[in-house]
Amino acid sequence: MPALVLLGIFMIYPILWSLWMSFQVGRGMAFSFGGLTNIIRLTQDPVFLRALSNTLIFLAIQVPIMLVLALLFASALNDSKLWGRGFFRTAIFLPCVTSLVAYSVIFKSMFAGDGIINQVLLGLHIVSTPIPWLADPFWAKFVVVAAITWRWTGYNMIFYLAAMQNIDRSIYEAARIDGVPAWARFWYITVPMLKPVILFTAVISTIGTLQLFDEPNLLTQGGPSDSTLTLSMYIYNLSFRFMPSFGYAATVSYVIVVLVAILSYIQFLVARDRRA
Amino acid sequence: MTRMSTGLKRSLAVALASVSMFSVTAASAAEILVWCWDPNFNGATMEQAFARYQAEHPDDTIRVEIFDKAAMEQKLQTQLASGTTEGLPDIVLIEDYRAQKYLLSFPGAFEPLTDQIDYSAFAPYKVAVGTVDGQSYSMPFDSGVTGYFYRSDLLEAAGYTAADLEDITWDRLIEIGVDIKEKTGETLLPIDPNDAGWLRIMMQSAGTWYFDEAGNLTIADNPAIKASLETYQRLMNAGITKPVAGWTEYTGSFTSGDTMSTFTGVWMTATIKANPDQSGQWGVAPIPRLDGVEGSVNASNLGGSSWYVLSSAPQKDLAIDFLKTVWGSDVDFYQEILVNQGALGSLLAAREGEAYQASDEFFGGQPVWQNFSTWLGEIPAVNYGIFTEEADTAVVAQLPALVNGGNVDEIISAINAQVSQQIQ
Repeated sequence: MPALVLLGIFMIYPILWSLWMSFQVGRGMAFSFGGLTNIIRLTQDPVFLRALSNTLIFLAIQVPIMLVLALLFASALNDSKLWGRGFFRTAIFLPCVTSLVAYSVIFKSMFAGDGIINQVLLGLHIVSTPIPWLADPFWAKFVVVAAITWRWTGYNMIFYLAAMQNIDRSIYEAARIDGVPAWARFWYITVPMLKPVILFTAVISTIGTLQLFDEPNLLTQGGPSDSTLTLSMYIYNLSFRFMPSFGYAATVSYVIVVLVAILSYIQFLVARDRRA
Repeated sequence: MTRMSTGLKRSLAVALASVSMFSVTAASAAEILVWCWDPNFNGATMEQAFARYQAEHPDDTIRVEIFDKAAMEQKLQTQLASGTTEGLPDIVLIEDYRAQKYLLSFPGAFEPLTDQIDYSAFAPYKVAVGTVDGQSYSMPFDSGVTGYFYRSDLLEAAGYTAADLEDITWDRLIEIGVDIKEKTGETLLPIDPNDAGWLRIMMQSAGTWYFDEAGNLTIADNPAIKASLETYQRLMNAGITKPVAGWTEYTGSFTSGDTMSTFTGVWMTATIKANPDQSGQWGVAPIPRLDGVEGSVNASNLGGSSWYVLSSAPQKDLAIDFLKTVWGSDVDFYQEILVNQGALGSLLAAREGEAYQASDEFFGGQPVWQNFSTWLGEIPAVNYGIFTEEADTAVVAQLPALVNGGNVDEIISAINAQVSQQIQ
């Protein structure tokens, strides 16, 4: 019973309140019921559409890269003959327990106009003029993707490693005796056995990316020219940077809720179909 | 036993005395909490202002909390929106562009000072920024009068003198920049594609803004805004700028000599003078005006801010008295912060003071303060309204298209569409 009360106060009430908020229009603390105004506004809002497409681009590019990388790292580090694998595991996992602000500051200085990345690229004659990493829409997206990948790959890798250690070694031994090459053992044994974990990490990463806020906010503030603006940042801007528009911000946040629900459902469907 | 009790009595007496002393101080002493964003500029001036006040009020203290500017604005807005006043400061610094937004979206959050401060003593355009429905809320602080800060040594190396920068247009400056680049290889300006500041400077120099006096959107069919965007495009495509990302890279660029000049508010003086080894190598010229735009002058504004007292402030009366005493009338104080921080206040009487007449060796002996004061008087007044942040965001979103040679008319209609959508 106390649990239900707590759940009511801290979960159900805010959810219902925000749903009610999403139908309010007005400035600052003075708002009134606006019906479908906010939903109509969504469809005509170029900034919202940019934020939505940026978020989906991050999702479509970053999540597959990260999960494949994590799988490859996990598979390599699962090899009991590998020297120093404890060290490598820790090294790859470490970024996701690093302070967000500290690493953003370092990324920002690394990718500055005269930062170390440009200096190395110039020194190796890979580029002739410094790349404006954070001042160009394309490269800014690239830096954000690189930053998130660096931070979260190790986290996903740990899930895969744990799951791999639950796979019975005798399956691999049998396959080896039958002459199955290493890539085929990975593709036809490891990956299918990990399917539930891959589904789990895919759903978690999708939700995380749809809520992406920290990296673009600290690295690029959404710029240049809104090229790294995400839905979460837009919600923040609507509430705390612009003339406060809490109702509309709530509407945008419900877009994320709906997207998460749809994408997670699709991922479950895909996983189930393959199993059948 | 007697000795013991004497010792005990004595220590008891000392303890009692110190307790009573402490409670006396606790009763009369108060601490004013201030939020602002620049340790070298507004933070430092606030500390100095209080040092003067403290001579009369020795028990009171001040605590100045410095934030990142955007972080502070967002913290303030979040806290005001939450409705809890605990943790808010007594005095907060607000940039002029945002003042109306705070005053209008959080009615009652700020203390009206109309009856406390003689506003006729201040530059009228500064007072207007902090006034809503006839009530004034601000203690006007620094002006954002703009200037063109340049490295005079690098300019001379290319064969130009300070006179070549007097009362010119932006197009003439672009010509000069191209010529310098050819002769010496120096890059004229750093430019941050995430900052529409220069467009705001150009707009205001022509007496126009994103909004008119009544707050209506004026972006479409505004010749001055069109000319500003076209000028910006020509400037960017002339090959005389270096892209930078963020404030640190921007200021680092011209203080390190990587680029040779910048357009900015007078408040940048402290940052530029933070490199004493460059003394004598700098100059300040008036900003260029827009070509072919009627009413465009060689003076404008960028930023500028004022102090506001929160209605909920625990030390409200003390804070108001302090602002009134020092910021509201102390002419000598304004001389002090002008010399130390390059802070050009908006108390009109301060301009008659000694420091404003002095020349500055750092800027090659130019009478920079007198110049800035003159330009200050020429700034066309505009209405910043409550949606400058939204309009700025729309402009910034179009800057890459502008730089890549996009059609200015299409860009204007895109900006107009976005702003009209955002301000509903």
